[in-house]
Amino acid sequence: MLEIKNLHVTVEGKEILNGIDLAVAPGEVHAVMGPNGSGKSTLAYVMTGRTGYEVTGGEILYQGRDLLEMAPEDRAAEGLFLAFQYPVEIPGVPNTTFLKEAVNALRKHRGETPLDAMQFLKLLRQKTQTLGMSDDMLKRAVNVGFSGGEKKRNEILQMAVLEPKLAVLDETDSGLDIDALKTVAEGVNALRTPERAMLVITHYQRLLNYIVPDHVHVLAKGRIVRSGGPELAQELEDKGYAQFAAAAA
Amino acid sequence: MIHLGRNTRSRIIAKGIAAGRSNSTYRGLVKISPKAKGARNYTQCDSLLIGENCGAHTVPYIECKNRGARVEHEATTSKISEDQLFYCRQRGIGEEDAVALVVNGFCREVMQQLPMEFAVEAQKLVGVSLEGSVG
Repeated sequence: MLEIKNLHVTVEGKEILNGIDLAVAPGEVHAVMGPNGSGKSTLAYVMTGRTGYEVTGGEILYQGRDLLEMAPEDRAAEGLFLAFQYPVEIPGVPNTTFLKEAVNALRKHRGETPLDAMQFLKLLRQKTQTLGMSDDMLKRAVNVGFSGGEKKRNEILQMAVLEPKLAVLDETDSGLDIDALKTVAEGVNALRTPERAMLVITHYQRLLNYIVPDHVHVLAKGRIVRSGGPELAQELEDKGYAQFAAAAA
Repeated sequence: MIHLGRNTRSRIIAKGIAAGRSNSTYRGLVKISPKAKGARNYTQCDSLLIGENCGAHTVPYIECKNRGARVEHEATTSKISEDQLFYCRQRGIGEEDAVALVVNGFCREVMQQLPMEFAVEAQKLVGVSLEGSVG
């Protein structure tokens, strides 16, 4: 589903990613771990098409297509989703309105008829029940006045509603206490299917106790220096990133 | 806004949006008459700028003839942030629709006071007015 080949990315004149190779197949959950500054978020932003990230070499193929040629909304329409590390606030726009716009934009892209308000609310209610989110939260403006945990849960709700094929979770555990972490992890695990792939970006091994990955990759100084199974995450927790940073130099 | 009587209260919320090469101006008068002791006014003037070539101007006039009155004015200027636009686009919402969404959110406080039929038309009008002003 996803093939990243020798990807080089420069941000504000500085090379952040220098030769990333990664392949993800449907149904797989890959964890990408690394110290601060290793390029984890850069990878997420380049994949989803944020401006300010210059690709200086390599390619990204998504479902056989050149991902970098596509506009951000087209990548989303093709099933690519990013759970943001710092979700943005959109004052005055209720969550329900925002989600309905998003759902109908995707449906339009796929040639399906848009949902009207009633149909949409029905769909939304099904999804919110599993995540334990109240109607009240849905009426509030997108992320305005939300706590850290609420913002992250809102990201997962959007993921549940939009049903992506490839979900990139950018440090979904940052700023969460244990209970919030468990709720978010449950929400993510409920969305694991044989057709859906996930890229879980994180610093800490703790999240991976709840969202158990199939593969773990260690990112240091812009390159994947080691890959392995879930036990690699535990090894990192025990030994730290220093040895990998040294290896990458 | 003219205050004649004692302990009268008023609130002005003005939302201006400028796009392309336009300039939007708020010019409002709050007048407190000599007998309006304890009168209070709060004026909020918000401007939204879309693009690099537009401007917003605020010209508040306050004529207060009673020392026991309180008149407040607050002005904000904002742009649609790149991060907000990217967030919308990453959810599949196209750039122009994203701008219309954010702008309608900006105006919501005012739109909510309008009769529903008019509010619906006003929202659509915002979308139409913004066509072609992005990018």
